[in-house]
Amino acid sequence: MNNPILYEIKDLKRSNGESFVLDIPYLKIEQGTSYGIVGPNGSGKSTLLRILAFIDKQDEGTIRFNRDVLSDDSAETNEDRIKGSTVTMLLQETYLLKRSVFENIAYGLRVRGIRNNIQERVHESLRMVGLDPVAFVHRKWSELSGGEAQRIALAARLVLKPAVLILDEPTASVDRESAQHIKETIGEVRRKYKTTIIIATHDLIWLHEVSDEIMKMHEGRLMGSAEENFIAGAWSPAPDGLWSTRLSDGQCIVALRPAGEQHIALLDPANIIITTERPNHVSAQNILSGRLMHMYTFEHSERVRLDVQVSNLSLICSITRKAARLLDLLPGMNVWVVFKASSLQWQ
Amino acid sequence: MQKLCAAFFLLLLAGALALFPVTGFAEEPVLRMATTTSTDNTGLLDYLAPVFQRDAGIELQWVAVGTGKALALGMNCDVDILMVHAPSAEMKFVNDGYGTDRREIMYNDFVIIGPRTDPAGIKGKSVDDALNRILKKGAFFASRGDDSGTNKKETSLWKAAGLGIPDRQNWYIQTGQGMLATITIAEERDAYTLTDRGTYIKYEVNNGGNPPLIILVEGDEGLKNQYSVIAVNREKCPSVKYGYALKFIEWITSDKTQKLIGNFTMLGKKLFIPNAR
Amino acid sequence: MGYIAEGFATAIKLLVRGDPETYSAVFTTLRISSISIMAALVIGIPLGFLLGYYQFPGKRQIHAVVDTLLALPTVVVGLFVYVLISRRGPLGRLGLLFTIPGIGIAQTILILPIVIALIATAVSNLDVRFRRTVLTLGAGKKRTAVTALYESRYGVIAAAIAAYGRAIGEVGVSMMIGGNIKWHTRTITTAIALETGKGQFAMGIALGLVLLLFAFVINWILQIIKRKI
Repeated sequence: MNNPILYEIKDLKRSNGESFVLDIPYLKIEQGTSYGIVGPNGSGKSTLLRILAFIDKQDEGTIRFNRDVLSDDSAETNEDRIKGSTVTMLLQETYLLKRSVFENIAYGLRVRGIRNNIQERVHESLRMVGLDPVAFVHRKWSELSGGEAQRIALAARLVLKPAVLILDEPTASVDRESAQHIKETIGEVRRKYKTTIIIATHDLIWLHEVSDEIMKMHEGRLMGSAEENFIAGAWSPAPDGLWSTRLSDGQCIVALRPAGEQHIALLDPANIIITTERPNHVSAQNILSGRLMHMYTFEHSERVRLDVQVSNLSLICSITRKAARLLDLLPGMNVWVVFKASSLQWQ
Repeated sequence: MQKLCAAFFLLLLAGALALFPVTGFAEEPVLRMATTTSTDNTGLLDYLAPVFQRDAGIELQWVAVGTGKALALGMNCDVDILMVHAPSAEMKFVNDGYGTDRREIMYNDFVIIGPRTDPAGIKGKSVDDALNRILKKGAFFASRGDDSGTNKKETSLWKAAGLGIPDRQNWYIQTGQGMLATITIAEERDAYTLTDRGTYIKYEVNNGGNPPLIILVEGDEGLKNQYSVIAVNREKCPSVKYGYALKFIEWITSDKTQKLIGNFTMLGKKLFIPNAR
Repeated sequence: MGYIAEGFATAIKLLVRGDPETYSAVFTTLRISSISIMAALVIGIPLGFLLGYYQFPGKRQIHAVVDTLLALPTVVVGLFVYVLISRRGPLGRLGLLFTIPGIGIAQTILILPIVIALIATAVSNLDVRFRRTVLTLGAGKKRTAVTALYESRYGVIAAAIAAYGRAIGEVGVSMMIGGNIKWHTRTITTAIALETGKGQFAMGIALGLVLLLFAFVINWILQIIKRKI
């Protein structure tokens, strides 16, 4: 992908007085791409999104947006920051203004002084989120279901034909069908307006079908693609110059000695071998017993993703379709997870 | 949003319009008077004002308040003339330089009323005697306790009878209210009270001619209730309509008006005896 | 109990027969309360908004003081204004005592705390998500403030209703500053005070019912406005 860089972030830090809420040495967002961010609650996803949406400011570091550099200078206002390109964000909790659906959607246009074709554009937005304009345009904010309200909120942002659309947990409180609708809407927005999409969510399955690239967040840090496993925990020295950590059922994982202070190990899913029987003679030091929880296939991929639960650890493994067929894998089966100590990279 | 602005301007307009009729500020001459509530309640001023307007072309407007407040309004130059009935307070008012041209205009009388059972046995007695009996018996007595003309009269009667002015005795009920309210309380407590005849007449009529409290002491010289008018001193209050006030004083002490006062009836009974000199 | 039934009958008689004294009192009440509610809203909406919307040192203390003023007895306000506008007072030259504008001004002082306190509360109770939402739609500081006021409009109307009720129902100020002068400054409430003072309880109740009817009509209109905006 050689799209122009829309955001370039360097040394971004945000603290809450005690610790860093965000600590991102480098992040680049390319135009027209769809990004997903996953991570537990409190990992800093929402804060990062708000900073990218320019409704919050970083404490340290620089953001280059669309060729303009935005520093942590507190004298800048948010309007200054956006400077022309429309960046909008759909918040986690939907809030509609106390007015009609039409006025809610038209609000952003009016703020920008746009007076032409408001009705057309509002209707168009409603269609994009899958709601009948005629039925909804005159409804009041209090006459909507939760799902409808969220779609109206989304429509209010789409009407701006945004360059960047940021969504915070868009599928958190909706049913499967609505999640599907949102997926389709995002697709349409990308096609029509070439919008860059940034989504934070827990719903990994849904995210896979919507984003080109997925990043993991953990305690304010981005951990690369979500296709990595990271094993945090108490690592301690073990014999033979190795380091090990104990899982809750007593199994141990061993790794090579870490380079520095960091105690988070990364494990590429492609380095994990899956067997259905415990292997006897193998060079890898890590042979763990676990249970296959989920299997995923993706449209354009030869590979199959497996979520395996090993004691208290969730590991992502990646194997070929062929291999999956050969092993007759089914969710619920007990499997063995095998990988070398040297496969573990230190964060 | 536009609707909101429209509503706002309508509001402003309404408020502004509300002011207009009033900025036709007193094009006709107006004489402002402070009088007492009991005077106003007799209806005498409603009866006299239109006549004064016809005769002098001046509109009489009056506020009816307690005697103390009426005098205060005079002192503060908020009214042009006073019509009150508290002679000693009036004298002080004039002597202190706040009022001029004081003229007595009429009188009515006070009566002491009480329950038919008359526990202290005051019926037909003189005022001095009656009050002494009430005190001795410790019979309930309701006082207005509000420094009004009636109240001042009452305290002067206690003094004249050689008795200290009651205050904390548990038979002495200080209501702090108007005359009718005080009579009502006296009725509740089977108490005696001092009232002007005009209010008593009303009370009588309200009870269909057969009220629980009846007149027990009357006619005593000490029970005379003298009304006077006083102009507010224009030296202390240059903004005051002294000319109009003088006109009114002239008018109300004239034979013609004095006769009108004498003929005034309330609920069919004559109330005032004109005595302007 | 008889007073109430008699009161009802008298009220109907007064209204239907077009009793001039009653109607004079009604229109006087209407004129005075129009002045006071208009002034209180014009002054109070901006002040209430500023108090509720922005953060500044002493905000909570000021809010508490304003809330305390809600408990001001009307007679005390009347007394305070009397001292100001009496001929002897600093504003005596304006000749406001015993006039309708005088009562209007005094009533404005009385109901202003209601307007400010209720609007400040309404604005500060705006959902936290509100500011973020309008920011994401591109609203700047000024626009956000204006939108905030519009979002609180139901609170503004509630404040207006409460203030108006207090204005037309009060007697302390009207009596002190107006003097209850027949045909000129006699309002429904001062007329009620007069009648009950004279022992004419049925008349007092009748006028009270007239006042309630009047208040009901005004509130009906306000409810219609509420639905429209």
